[in-house]
Amino acid sequence: MSIPKLEFPPFHLPAEAEALRGEVRAFLKETLPGIQTEDRFASWNTPSPEFSQALGAKGWLGITWPKKYGGAERTFLDRYVVTEELLGNSAPAGSHWVADRQSGPLLLKFGSEQQRQAILPRITRGECYFSIGMSEPDSGSDLASVRTRAEPVSGGFRVNGTKVWTSGAHRNHYCITLVRTSGQHGDRHKGLSQLLVDLKTPGVTIRPIINLAGRHDWNEVTFSDAFIPEDCLIGNEGDGWLQVTSELAFERSGPERFMQNVYVLRELIRVLGRQPAKRASAIVGRLIARLWTLRQMSTAVAGLMQGGQSPAIEASLVKDLGTIYEQDLPEIARTLAESDATTEDDLADFLDIAQYATMMAPSYTIQGGTTQVLRGIVARGLGLR
Amino acid sequence: MDRETRDMLLETAGRFFSERSGKEVVNGVEKGVWPADLWKEIEEMGLPLIAVPEAQEGVGGTLADLLALLRVAGEHAVPVPLAETTLANLLVAASGGKPASGPTTLALGGGDLSLQGNRLSGKVMRVPFASVADRFVSVVNAGGKPTLVVVARDETSVEETPSHAGEPYGTVVFDNTPVEFSAASAVSADRALELAALMRTMQMAGAADKVLVTAVEYCKQRAQFGRPISNFQAIQHMLAELASCVAATIASAESASRDADEGGLEDGGSFSIAAAKTQCSDFAHRIAAISHQSMGAMGFTHEHILHHYTRRLWVWRRDFGSEAFWGEKIGQAFAKAGRDAMWPALTESRYAA
Repeated sequence: MSIPKLEFPPFHLPAEAEALRGEVRAFLKETLPGIQTEDRFASWNTPSPEFSQALGAKGWLGITWPKKYGGAERTFLDRYVVTEELLGNSAPAGSHWVADRQSGPLLLKFGSEQQRQAILPRITRGECYFSIGMSEPDSGSDLASVRTRAEPVSGGFRVNGTKVWTSGAHRNHYCITLVRTSGQHGDRHKGLSQLLVDLKTPGVTIRPIINLAGRHDWNEVTFSDAFIPEDCLIGNEGDGWLQVTSELAFERSGPERFMQNVYVLRELIRVLGRQPAKRASAIVGRLIARLWTLRQMSTAVAGLMQGGQSPAIEASLVKDLGTIYEQDLPEIARTLAESDATTEDDLADFLDIAQYATMMAPSYTIQGGTTQVLRGIVARGLGLR
Repeated sequence: MDRETRDMLLETAGRFFSERSGKEVVNGVEKGVWPADLWKEIEEMGLPLIAVPEAQEGVGGTLADLLALLRVAGEHAVPVPLAETTLANLLVAASGGKPASGPTTLALGGGDLSLQGNRLSGKVMRVPFASVADRFVSVVNAGGKPTLVVVARDETSVEETPSHAGEPYGTVVFDNTPVEFSAASAVSADRALELAALMRTMQMAGAADKVLVTAVEYCKQRAQFGRPISNFQAIQHMLAELASCVAATIASAESASRDADEGGLEDGGSFSIAAAKTQCSDFAHRIAAISHQSMGAMGFTHEHILHHYTRRLWVWRRDFGSEAFWGEKIGQAFAKAGRDAMWPALTESRYAA
């Protein structure tokens, strides 16, 4: 039996984290009703600078970071609780999400002192937002094949190339951009670097890419001889691949991988009424059991990470199961509501919600590592490749 | 018991099961051969008395220790009522009785059992190991109070209806049958069923783990088209999906075990158990389907051991409440409490109210 044991040691979030949960809930109850958003049901990709600033004022952004950069020096588990409360209460967390989750931690780990001082305090105030500049027209899952080139010139780099699926680039301030700084296209992991790109830089053009639901989240970001100063290089020249993989780990293990459409379940419970039929109750119960299990797995991973481990396989399993659950949810809910909603009006309203969730669902198993990429990681962990 | 003692016990038990409860023994039970030697050795090791306090002639330990042992037993498809006996003994001891030796089983989920004076009447179907157990333990409501009863098998009539895993399940009819022992029960009838469901989730976690290991090892060795089939991406992705279902099974069972242990015998982890039994039962289908698909005709034979585990998963998902039963209970509570109660309840692993 040579395969590693899959263990998700049950983990209790500590008392301080649970105390924080109460504070976050009270804050959301008071704040959310006054916040206008473009989405009927907000989530981690619904932007609201107003909300992010209010959250920053509470000290809950960059919560784990050193105080000298505006952080609160609290634990990763405190951050976990804030994150899941934002999701569980459908808060519009889209403005700060990427900056708080991965860009800030990346700068903290690899950035220069000057970069940290210039950027991190602004993130913690909810004033500075980030996009992810990884994918390109010819580089999706195969990220090492990026072609965007940063040619060293006096005082910096001249950048040419195109990034795509760049969420929020039209409203965010910076984009951490993966570029080739040396070597050839075929060199794969070697010669890649990450640049801190101010999205207002001359030569950077942002064009919308509208998704199938008619939303403008994505952009195409084109670099035409854009000059990026040398102090915007993050970490060492040539370490881009190492840095980008560490960044991806932050993207895969969080509760946003099974809770982005939790509103569907909540609304399903509403339209089925207080006394659904046996069969309907059982289906709802099975959905709740799946969500509960995912949360147990995710907190277990958080516990392992807090304990200093890096459970890459476990995190991939959570994202795989979680996103498939999110994809099943609107479909199961729709068919159940069609047969068991208590009133015609409720049904019409719910079908509208489910239709939107259905349209968004394909993205869940693509963003942040496709199901197939994740299964490749798990297969390697099982010793199959 | 402390972590080290428990790990040692689990390791010893695992080694013992693989040596003494192998393929022949499991197949033998399916043919109606009761493995008396295996049971005797299990008793000599004290396994059925885990979690029974030493003051009551048990071997001590906690509910969590007992459940961890059952996961190991599930990993070996141990074809005797170890789970049923340990829980029965625990319930008897908690209600002030003295556990007897010999295989014992649980006659639970029979809503119409009634106790009149010292006599029990009613029928319970799908009682595990009904025809080989020395006695039945149940919790019935008598005069509005939960009462634990112990009934000797010889006093009852058992109609044997083997489970689909070939274990001697059966329908037990109590017809004004005298009880050997009765006492105010430490747990309600509903709680007894919950605990039984919990022990099945841990057995399922063990079995699921074994299915994954078996399928992975097989695919690494089986060569077709000139290479091990584990080299094919299609197989790799199937096994990765299998791993995700197995991981969910293990994680839910372990979480429920912890919650039950920490919350106490009387009502600890009530919701977690329901959710875990729902989850484990729900995924049994995918676990069996993917593992069999990956092993082709070989895994479909009686000769191979895969069916010892997949058939048990199919049986265990029905035992002591299926995903429909526990899912309905969860769904009803959450519907009654309304949508806004859902999230707070989930974060506290409790029924919405």
